Amino acid sequence: MSSRRSRSRQMSSSRITDEQINDLLTKLQAVLPEAHLRSTDRVSAAKVLQDTCNYIRSLHREVDDLSERLSELLANNDINSAQAAIIRSLLR
Amino acid sequence: MAISNAEGDPATGNEGGGERKRKRRADPPVAKWRTEGEQKTYSSKLIEAIRRVRRSSAAAATDHSRSRAVRAAADRALAVAGRGRTRWSRAILSGRKLKLWVRARACRRKPLGSITAASASHTTPKSKPPTLERKARVLGRLVPGCRKLPLLTLLEEASDYIAALEMQVRAMSAIAEILSAAGAATAEPM
Repeated sequence: MSSRRSRSRQMSSSRITDEQINDLLTKLQAVLPEAHLRSTDRVSAAKVLQDTCNYIRSLHREVDDLSERLSELLANNDINSAQAAIIRSLLR
Repeated sequence: MAISNAEGDPATGNEGGGERKRKRRADPPVAKWRTEGEQKTYSSKLIEAIRRVRRSSAAAATDHSRSRAVRAAADRALAVAGRGRTRWSRAILSGRKLKLWVRARACRRKPLGSITAASASHTTPKSKPPTLERKARVLGRLVPGCRKLPLLTLLEEASDYIAALEMQVRAMSAIAEILSAAGAATAEPM
């Protein structure tokens, strides 16, 4: 008896969370780079997950390349305080 | 002895949502990574962190270790900018080295052929095919600190993490541009 109740509760909670999962998947798909190419009818969960993994990996690679470039730039000339002030003023 | 504390909130209206009573603002935090103010704050913090790296690793000659130190500093600054509200930011701040070593060891133990064997042995009919779970696991490994999360939380963390990474890329490329331009300018008159 208790197993039946717990099973029904599990099914109802999974029904609620399926909707939320679908909602989040749609939102995630909108962030991915090829969002404008995709038709917004159905969200295939596997595709969205795969695209998300690929996108995160490519972002990681970009960050690695950028940090390598920054470390090379630092090797040649250290950022003294004057340059740091210039950078801050430029960024503001 | 009467249970009167858990169900004293009829405004939410859902049955099993014991955890989600107060956290109803899941939407705005993702947009904050796009603001310019956030990027500028992050940029100045990043510059300070990079200067510290340069000063502390003056003896380290290898480029690889230096770029890794820069990447670690950038990630830590990114996690601090998250203000500790997300799991991935807390995971980054609590310890990166341990995660890298554990990941390297786990990659050596599990060859890629074991994944197909696992999917073939699962004959119980589930609503989600094992491919989806496998992809969810891969995603959980990519986002720091999110290995064993349920899919819902994992998706939220992933969307926030992606927005933060995009901001990191924008900020670092801007700094690199400025530095290379400044370097070229100082090298001209000789």
